[in-house]
Amino acid sequence: MNSFYNLSIISAEIKKCLKILLCYPMELVFWCIFPIFWAVPFIFQGNALVGGMESEAFSDLTGTTQFMPYILIGAVLNTYVLSALYGMSNSLREESYWGTLELILGSPCSKIPILLGKALNEAVTSTLFAVMQIFICIIIFGLDVAVNQILPIMLIVILLMLGLYGLSIALAGITIQIKQSHSLIHTIEYLFYLFSPVRYPVNINPWIRMVSLVIPLTYALTVVRGIMLLDKSLINLWQNVVILLAIDIGLIVLGYYIFFYIEKRARKSGIISMY
Amino acid sequence: MDNIIVSDLTKKFVKKGKRKLLRREKEDILAVDHISVKVKKGELFGLLGPNGAGKTTLVKCLATLLIPDEGTATIDGHDIITDPISVRKILGITTGGERTLYWKLSARDNLKYFASLYGLSSKDAEERIDYLLDIMDLKEKQHQRLEKYSTGMRQKVSIARAILHDPKILLLDEPTLGLDPSFSMFLRSFIKNDLNKKEGKTILLTTHYMDEADQLCDRIAFVDRGKLIVVDTSKNLKRNVSKNEALEIKCIGNIDKLENFNAHIKNKKNYTKIRILHENTEDIMDDVLKDVKERAKILSVNVTRPTLEDVFVHLTGSKLEDEHE
Repeated sequence: MNSFYNLSIISAEIKKCLKILLCYPMELVFWCIFPIFWAVPFIFQGNALVGGMESEAFSDLTGTTQFMPYILIGAVLNTYVLSALYGMSNSLREESYWGTLELILGSPCSKIPILLGKALNEAVTSTLFAVMQIFICIIIFGLDVAVNQILPIMLIVILLMLGLYGLSIALAGITIQIKQSHSLIHTIEYLFYLFSPVRYPVNINPWIRMVSLVIPLTYALTVVRGIMLLDKSLINLWQNVVILLAIDIGLIVLGYYIFFYIEKRARKSGIISMY
Repeated sequence: MDNIIVSDLTKKFVKKGKRKLLRREKEDILAVDHISVKVKKGELFGLLGPNGAGKTTLVKCLATLLIPDEGTATIDGHDIITDPISVRKILGITTGGERTLYWKLSARDNLKYFASLYGLSSKDAEERIDYLLDIMDLKEKQHQRLEKYSTGMRQKVSIARAILHDPKILLLDEPTLGLDPSFSMFLRSFIKNDLNKKEGKTILLTTHYMDEADQLCDRIAFVDRGKLIVVDTSKNLKRNVSKNEALEIKCIGNIDKLENFNAHIKNKKNYTKIRILHENTEDIMDDVLKDVKERAKILSVNVTRPTLEDVFVHLTGSKLEDEHE
């Protein structure tokens, strides 16, 4: 009964979030197209700098001469980061703004399935966006995706999402406390841009490389690019997978701890009732 | 048997003041000040007080949305601090404020979502939602988004949401606030006749409308500045006022006070209302009217029985519509 109850909450949460998302069709268009448009200037910039679509200097740092698929893979995986960071904490901020947060927290169910429902909703929508983006990349930029690469890439994306949801659950808790999410999310978003190989290889600078080691996106990008651009298998890249898994566990435990600590604090201070 | 027992419950909030160099000044606001009260099973109990009196804070503590600083309460035997999950299962709550539902979803979708949080099976939820939409007269517009509903219709959905899981005890915080008279009348009748009398639910209702409390509640507690002033039936509370008549004058003109009488004066938008409590209003009528006529144009004169508001003013010295900081 209990697990059935929790499953029905997860399902209700996903349905609710999707129905609300569908009320904003421009949002869907934005997320499907914008990340690709965001990557295009960097591709043109690279083209202008090296006078073609391939670079030997780039190959010394990454193992591949083609910087275009490198950047496009970064852009698509970064969609998961953005939607996880924005989705979960914004979602709770919106619940607070709508006046429904109190009623959710005042219901007898565990809050974990509600958070899981929000996370899964983000996963579903992010995957839809990612599929659309890959489709656009294949059509416009001729990105090459082999069928046998899809399964290991999906596994890495799931592992990446687990860690990101740990982080976003923590952010959701912090959002309850500070009552705004944008500045915090922008800060983390830009730290991810700077310290993980979304746009450029981080080993270009030893300090950046050192910081990138604690960011889960670094490992996910290394594995996905290894599979897609260097013809490596998951077995060749197992160390990255293990580290990603370890970071996931750490972030999930930390995320839940922070969320429930702040929720209890908010009940004491009365901040839950404030908009 | 008592369904709600509140024991010495206290809730403070910290108000941040001006920043002084490195530290910000902080001030403790006592929102609920050592309140103890008992609500009997099947009773419709009213908390009456002006805005900022602490009614909503008390309700939120009972609903486990706030953790009290001192004291506790039990809801049907379950402690709000040590057993909040059991409390939430048997409670239905409407919080004040218009935005407590998803405006982008339909009434039916809103109710389905909350039904899942309260563990109703899909079949039970559908049946219950059908029943509630029917009695709330919302069936025709059940698939319309709430953003297209009127305030009154949304409040009906809000009440339906609170009673979805058929709770034993209801906490209704200002259920008719901001509604037009027809919706207020419907909801008052629904609360009293359907929920309380027919279904036997214990209801704790907060309001700052004295008519509402007078009309609905078996017993009323006056709350002012976080303190419980008195608890009794409306009839007994009115007996507390030694003066048994009230002279009420409506006039147009700027009157702040009457020199020789202890008058309660409200300056409304289009007129001024003067109320004077007295043992026998005939004795003072001529003098009062003479005084008022000199400064204003009299619209009407009535002699009534003292109201709950008169009792509140008599006991607290505050007006019900006062806003305390």
